[in-house]
Amino acid sequence: CNGAWLQRKQHTLQPTYYVMSLYPQIMFCFGRARRSSRCGSPAGCSHVNAYKVDNWRPNLRVIYQCFVWSGSAETRRRKAKSCICHMCGAHLNRLHSCLYCVFFGCFTKKHIHEHAKNKRHNLAIDLLYGGIYCFVCQDYIYDKDMEQIAKEEQRKAWKLQGVGEKYSTWEPTKRELDLLRHNPKRRKMTTNCTIGLRGLINLGNTCFMNCIVQALTHTPLLRDFFLSDRHKCEMQSNSCLVCEMSQLFQEFYSGHRSPHIPFRLLHLVWTHARHLAGYEQQDAHEFLIAALDVLHRHCKGDTTNDNGKKANNPNHCNCIIDQIFTGGLQSDVTCQVCHGVSTTIDPFWDISLDLPGSSTPFWPLSPGGDGGTVNGESHLSGATTLTDCLRRFTRPEHLGSSAKIKCGGCHSYQESTKQLTMKKLPIVACFHLKRFEHSAKLRRKITTYVSFPLELDMTPFMASRWASTNYLPPGLYVLVRYALFAVVNHQGTLESGHYTSFIRQHKDQWFKCDDAIITKASIKDVLDSEGYLLFYHKQFLEYE
Amino acid sequence: MNKDSQMRAAINQKLIEMGERERLKELLRAKLVECGWKDQMKAQCKDVIREKGLEHVTVEDLVVEITPKGRALVPDSVKKELLQRIRASLAQHSTL
Repeated sequence: CNGAWLQRKQHTLQPTYYVMSLYPQIMFCFGRARRSSRCGSPAGCSHVNAYKVDNWRPNLRVIYQCFVWSGSAETRRRKAKSCICHMCGAHLNRLHSCLYCVFFGCFTKKHIHEHAKNKRHNLAIDLLYGGIYCFVCQDYIYDKDMEQIAKEEQRKAWKLQGVGEKYSTWEPTKRELDLLRHNPKRRKMTTNCTIGLRGLINLGNTCFMNCIVQALTHTPLLRDFFLSDRHKCEMQSNSCLVCEMSQLFQEFYSGHRSPHIPFRLLHLVWTHARHLAGYEQQDAHEFLIAALDVLHRHCKGDTTNDNGKKANNPNHCNCIIDQIFTGGLQSDVTCQVCHGVSTTIDPFWDISLDLPGSSTPFWPLSPGGDGGTVNGESHLSGATTLTDCLRRFTRPEHLGSSAKIKCGGCHSYQESTKQLTMKKLPIVACFHLKRFEHSAKLRRKITTYVSFPLELDMTPFMASRWASTNYLPPGLYVLVRYALFAVVNHQGTLESGHYTSFIRQHKDQWFKCDDAIITKASIKDVLDSEGYLLFYHKQFLEYE
Repeated sequence: MNKDSQMRAAINQKLIEMGERERLKELLRAKLVECGWKDQMKAQCKDVIREKGLEHVTVEDLVVEITPKGRALVPDSVKKELLQRIRASLAQHSTL
């Protein structure tokens, strides 16, 4: 799909609109289906007027419910039995139903056409897609009222089937059409255009901030949120970090290739996260968490619940940061005596993983333990993989006799095991490899190579019962695949080091961002790098 | 109807009753988007529309031109996977 968008008009407050996704692989929504009002809609035809009389609406609904989109078990059974051609008995061949009487006929074999001619019944409905065919116009027609009914019935059936909402293409509202007409300048996104790439000047050991900014500006959902101007600022002062991010996105996608100087962003970060202020080198991971926290706090104007009221509860926030980054980590503590399980679920923005060679015991999992390339990671004789780290993270851990937990079932302190699993997967999963050791005795950097994959399947680490079986119900499988889109690396030692990042554009274009210098990188460069922060994006998103 | 199409009809019926047909369709949709097939088809459709002219093209024109190409371009891996899923669904149902 080619994408086009409006150029922001300099002298007015026209909002910028972002039209199509840069990642053709990702189908997405913003959590709620858009109620689109068709304007300048394609033609209906006058021949439907003969049909649209008396009780036509409920009649049409019945046809949709029974024969096109059958939601309930009963309608499905009926559909299965009766949807065959009345002339040849086939269930394939683009079966259509006459709208005027009970007749099913193949389209391909022209059986429905014969019926239409003989009975002078001009309208038929396609049982596969619900389209209305007019035999006089000899084409499918799109009557506004009938389309409305079709959409409603389809949604009802999806709901009954537990499919929920599905992606539907964007249909512009009247206002959007006006804006598009008044702002005719377009920028076409081709598969190798590099818009969105911009260097960042280092303002004095600020590479830790620069690499996180690169990762965030290339997070597809975040980019789309800001480029479609969805932040409504409620802060009185000029110190809203979300507004500043919005500005930053405008800068990055402006088409300018000169490096950007993020002095305002730096100043705001110092203001809102005092512990990061100063010109010393900071930890990029700490900066990420602090930035997400401030953005989350400043997003108050954008959080609404279904009733359109503002959600004041910080635990049930629905801001863009929570929508994208917040996952749920389930912790199960099992009493070794009564086997009762106590479960808690905590929100998380990142998963911090211990590495072999750290002072915490790393359970040496044999390389390629369960059949090798679970996630296509290379097992170079003993190299630890991200999957190994995740397996270690989610393995049951015996808490030992010195750490007994009060068991609700036994009413006494007992030994127990604890296990962490993912209950809710965030849309963007950030893995933090704990390379910096700050224990009482030791301050050092762990440089063990950890191999990480381009695509990650999170199924084995999930809390649901499917994790233990190999069989997933059809359709569910695609929802747990993640794609790598940014990597932050640290070179050097704990005392003096430098952060750089790799970010991904389109499907397989990678670039290295070293402050102001952006260079093309190969996938090999990315996967061979040490890895400190790994950013993965869900490949397929479902509607809430 | 010959034996083959009888079997097809029976399987189709069973899958519809189970509600499995819709779920399999969703899986297939996702796979076809993922492998770029949907984009290829979209491009083909645009070609046909350009050829016939926006005002004159009908759905039938598109169906006739696109269907054979569409069928040929489905990757073998996708076909394999769907077959596997169908078998698994039918097997699962018969054990209930």
